[in-house]
Formats: sequence, structure tokens, C-alpha cells
Amino acid sequence: MRIIESIRKDFTTMTWVLIPVAIAINVVIGQIVVVLRLPVFLDSIGTVLVAVVAGPWAGALTGTLSNIIWGLLIDPNALPWWPVALMIGFVAGWCAVLGLFKSWWKVMITGFIVAVTAAIVSTPIAVYLFGGITASGSSFITAYLLQTGRDLIPAVLSTNFLVEPFDKIATCLLAFAIIGGLSVRYLARFPRPENVEIDKTERRTQIIIAIVVAVILILIYSYILVNLLGS
Amino acid sequence: MHQKLSFYVDRDSFLHHLNPLTKLTLVLTLVILSFLGLSYWLPTIIFLFIIIPLSFLGKVAQEFFNATVKLLLPVVGFLFVMQAFFHPDGTQVIFSIWIFDVTVESLSFAYLTASRILTMVASFLILLLTTHPSDLMSDLTRRGVSGNLSYVITSTLQIIPQMQVKAGTIIDAQQSRGLETTGNVFNRVKAVVPLVGPLVFGSLVEVEERAIAIEARAFTAPLKKTSLREIPDRAAERAARWIFIGVIIIAIGLRIWLL
Repeated sequence: MRIIESIRKDFTTMTWVLIPVAIAINVVIGQIVVVLRLPVFLDSIGTVLVAVVAGPWAGALTGTLSNIIWGLLIDPNALPWWPVALMIGFVAGWCAVLGLFKSWWKVMITGFIVAVTAAIVSTPIAVYLFGGITASGSSFITAYLLQTGRDLIPAVLSTNFLVEPFDKIATCLLAFAIIGGLSVRYLARFPRPENVEIDKTERRTQIIIAIVVAVILILIYSYILVNLLGS
Repeated sequence: MHQKLSFYVDRDSFLHHLNPLTKLTLVLTLVILSFLGLSYWLPTIIFLFIIIPLSFLGKVAQEFFNATVKLLLPVVGFLFVMQAFFHPDGTQVIFSIWIFDVTVESLSFAYLTASRILTMVASFLILLLTTHPSDLMSDLTRRGVSGNLSYVITSTLQIIPQMQVKAGTIIDAQQSRGLETTGNVFNRVKAVVPLVGPLVFGSLVEVEERAIAIEARAFTAPLKKTSLREIPDRAAERAARWIFIGVIIIAIGLRIWLL
């Protein structure tokens, strides 16, 4: 019963109002990235945002609903991937509770843990629903691994392990930069402001480093992709 | 970047007048049947002889075919080609390109996956074309789903188009100040920050005001709230839902028994 009580404490009115905005942020940033023709998704910034300021359960709910609404409005092919979005929110939330969202390099650790989770959760969906080859471009890598004699599940897993970290670490860094840009008074209205206590003097530098690292990561990833597909 | 808010088409048809939960149960039944693997041709049969007739019954055939061709065929086609080439099993080679072989087994596997995905997404499409999202949510709320949940979904449906308009404005404004959104990867990555920043902070500021506004309208009051929309539910539909659930149970039973 204590667990239910603590979950309920996370769902204040501010949380309920933040969730729709966060879902819209996921969707619209996802579309901006498509307009910019970048090779990453960055479609869970809002989910991570909620997970950090309102806890893992709110993050999990945001991720799930985000995926469902994406499926309802834009692309029904997104529907079967909702467990991945759920786990992204949930894991990011626990990382923040453990204090892994207070400086840029800790946020990178969060991003990596989230990426590993996403890679593991999406593997069975890709294998059992799509037979390993999904409609996403990274399936070329899976196909290549399969043809060179790898088994199905290891091939899908290693593709995911290659693709996810860049996207998820960049996502978490950008979410961190956004939270860093919000005022302390505003953040204090959410259930878990203690997750994001950044040292005041360092705040500016932290945000700038986070953005620069995110940009560099996306650039490195584009470079790797171009070389991989080129060869 | 702004696009139509939902797939829903307002028509007067038998499917439109059905209770949303009945349609949801039907869709879930079709999806489970096509993925259980009772028969190789079952997903194809469901698509041809249930889903396509349903789209005519709901008077949304035109929109259904448009969405299928634009959204589904590219994805399913890509999936089919990839799996035909890259599925590792199979010995009877039909033809091969470079190191990749197309075999009888990989072709039949590719067809099975493609037809399953097609059936799954198409059946959801029928639901979305004939059901308004807020009707579905108010019906679920009436049946005991938390009202907060339907607040989240219905208000997200309102916020997304507003935010898409805002994003369009921001992209135009930044481009007019000389921001490059095309060209090499470095330029495009750099453009993320000036586009995402104003959009996100602008929307987050509104959260606080909205929280106060809904608090003032008894959002957290522990009372039973009444609904403005009345959604009909007939006894025949209740019976139909139990039949669908029965079909699912029998199908799962058959699958276990045949294994």
C-alpha cells in the first residue's frame, strides 16, 4: 500500500497537466528532426522530462500514451512499440531518483542505461512481430549481420546496441539542458524538484556542455552511418 | 508540417453508430487472430474478407484505401523486400543478388509477416476512421477508466496541432533571421537548439496557468463527474463483444491444443 501511496504523490495536478504538453513535445520535436533530415529520432525528450521532474511512474505513463497517440494521429505502425517507450520513461525516472540527472556526465550515464533498456525491450518486439527486420532504416545493419552468419536475436540486439546509445544519450542531454533552463521556482511546483538540483554557479556551463556534447554525438553518429552504408 | 489532427471521417454509417468499445474489441480480436498463426492464409483472409468489407460498411473505403496506399504499402513493401532477401533460412534458391539469396522459405516468411502487419495496422485504421478519439475516451471513462487519463488524451489531441502551428512559426522566424535548416549535417544539427528551445519553453510556461485553471474547475474533486456526451450501447452490442471474447479464447485454446 505504501507503494501506491508514493505513486499517487507523484501525480499532482501539475503532473497531469505536464503530461499532454510533454507528449506534444515528443511528437513535434520528432517531426522537426524529420524536417531537418537528421538520422536520430529524439522523440522521447518530453518523456524523459516528465520522468525526471515527476518520477518514474509518470514517465512510464507519458511514454506509453505518447506512443499510442503517435499511432492514433500520425503513423499506426508506431503502436506495437509502446513497451519500449514505457521502459524509457520508467528507467529514466529511476536514474533521476538515484541522482543521475544532476550534471552533464551523470546524464550521459542515464542516457546509456536508457539506451540499453530500449535496445533490450525492442528486440523481442522486432523478432516476434517483424521477424527481426523492421521497417526502420537500421534494419540494413541487422540484415548484414544475419547474412554474415549471426543468429537472429544476437543480430537484432547488436544493431539496437549500436543505434540506441547515440539517440538516447542525446535525448537525455537535451532534456537536461531544457530542465536547466527552467527557473528553480517553476521546477519546485513539480513533485520531484530534488532530482534536478544543479549547483547554481555551474548551471550555465552545465547546460552549454550538455548541448555541445549532444550535437557532437549526433554528428559522430551521422558520420558512422554514412561510412557504414557507404561501404 | 501541420497535418490533419486525426484520421476520423464524420459520416453516417452503421460502423459510426456502433459503440467505440465494440469496435475496439473487434479490432483486438482480428489482430490476435492474425498473429496466433492458426493458418498461413488467415491474415490475408481477414484483410480481404473482413477489413475491406468493413471499410465499405463504414462508408470510409475511399479514405481507407488512400491511407493504406500512402502509409501502409511503403512500410509493408519495404518489410517484404528486406525479409525476402535477408531472412537467413531456406535452401531452395530462386535467385540471388551479391551474397543475398531469395529462397522459397524467405519469400513465404516475408509474405506472412507483411500480411500480419498489414492486417494489424489496417484494422486499427478502420477503428480510427470511424471513431472520434474523444468518443472512445468518454465511453472508456464511463466504464471506469480514470478521468485523468482521458483528460491527458483529449487535451494532447488539442495541444499537438497548436504546437505544430507554433513550430511552423518558429521555423519561419528563425529562417528569416538566417538560420540554415538545409545543407550539410553540421548546419542541420546546429539548427536543433534554436528551433527546440523557444518551442519547449513557450509550451512549458503554459503548464502552470493551465494547472491553476483546471484546479479551479474541480479537476481534483473526489466526486463522480457526469459526461456531456451520451454514447449509445445496445444489448446486441454487449452480446457481440462477448462473442468476440469467446472467439479469442477459442482461438488461443486451439493454438495451445495444436502445438
